[in-house]
Amino acid sequence: MHSSKKIVVLGHFGVGKTSLIRRFVTDTFSDNYKVTIGVHITKKLVEIAVDREVSLILWDLEGTDEIESIRDSYLLGTHGLVFVFDVSRPSTFEHLGNDLKIVRNKVPETPLMVVGNKSDLVDKAELKTVLDENELSADFLTSAKTGEFVNELFLKLATLLVGDA
Amino acid sequence: MYPKMDEKDKLEILKDILLADEHEFEEKISRRIELLEQTVHEREKLSEKVNPIISHQLDDFTKNIPETLGPTITETLKKQIKINKDEVVDALYPIMGKMVKKYVAQEMKLLSEKMNNQLSFLSFFKRKFKSGVTGQNENEIMLGDLATASIQQVLLIEKDSGILKASYSKSNAMDEEMVSGMLTAIKSFVEDAFNQRNQELESIEYELYEIHLQSFATHYIAVVISGNYMLSAKNKLQDIIFDFYNSFMAMNLDLVFETKNAQKSIVPVPKSRIERELAKYFGHAQL
Repeated sequence: MHSSKKIVVLGHFGVGKTSLIRRFVTDTFSDNYKVTIGVHITKKLVEIAVDREVSLILWDLEGTDEIESIRDSYLLGTHGLVFVFDVSRPSTFEHLGNDLKIVRNKVPETPLMVVGNKSDLVDKAELKTVLDENELSADFLTSAKTGEFVNELFLKLATLLVGDA
Repeated sequence: MYPKMDEKDKLEILKDILLADEHEFEEKISRRIELLEQTVHEREKLSEKVNPIISHQLDDFTKNIPETLGPTITETLKKQIKINKDEVVDALYPIMGKMVKKYVAQEMKLLSEKMNNQLSFLSFFKRKFKSGVTGQNENEIMLGDLATASIQQVLLIEKDSGILKASYSKSNAMDEEMVSGMLTAIKSFVEDAFNQRNQELESIEYELYEIHLQSFATHYIAVVISGNYMLSAKNKLQDIIFDFYNSFMAMNLDLVFETKNAQKSIVPVPKSRIERELAKYFGHAQL
């Protein structure tokens, strides 16, 4: 059985959205930073169970510090969302609660995963302190560079969405 | 020895014996009345009893709306339209006006294209001139002019999500799911950028191909065309698209009728069936 799901990946500038997707889709990483303009679309077929495949159509939205300014039309018909912040850059999670509220208002009732990326840049103890001090709760702490928890993130979302269908 | 009973006591004992059953019954009744009073006065308890009945009645009512209220609604609508003619015209004008305007503009272009074809002797000089300027063989220019439009690929796409519903393709050169997403993103971007949500992107051109986009309420159809895509071809293509879409809608309407019968669950139209229809309509279409 096959189905397709639209996943929108969003967050502030330079948090590693494109790198996360690239790691997931092609299992590669590049330090060469290129800004995403508009939206970039990629696809990955995920097998979540025997005879159960899901095509994840990944919409990589350009980063913005004004989450409010994200085009509503890009979010239409979205099945799942991934909100990414950079654990090494406080400006990307200082207003996480408010950012998530804005996203929730735009697409209520759509499953949302909150992801702290670039976990390789901060040591584990420091990371815990950062999370505790800022009262952050992330579903996954990933590293696009090392690949840590990247597959797990998308697999969990895919399973959640198919369960929802 | 028993104390002596007077008539009154005897009567009392007799009454007790005879009315014992009635007392029990009376108590039972009063207990039930008390319970009923409690149920009626306590909202939660009452809801527990009444809700299933209301819900059942509501289900019946919903199921029977077409039969019971249908004629009344139609009659009311007719009356309201008659009374508020101006308001109805105002509401429909932008939609109808846009459609009429589009139709007239297309017909005018078609007429002009036909006139150009009639003046074909001019094409001869045009070809000569083009050949002289570009150095290209005149025959090649003529062949290029004559290359008829041909449908290469058709994608039926969900309008909001950009998810591909079904497709027809003469060659499997590209990832159709990704292309569907990208087309939807481009469409959204253009429509947003011009701040015209009531207008739609209709075509995308690149060197050898043109992508014709036809939007409907919940889906849109993207047709990739190669060759000389003239207005006459566009007209034919639109007719094919409308015919197909009617058939697609009919397939979906089957579902609506099925869901009216509440016992049956919604059965999505299988992708293979839609793709068969796409191949039937677009596979051998001559533009």
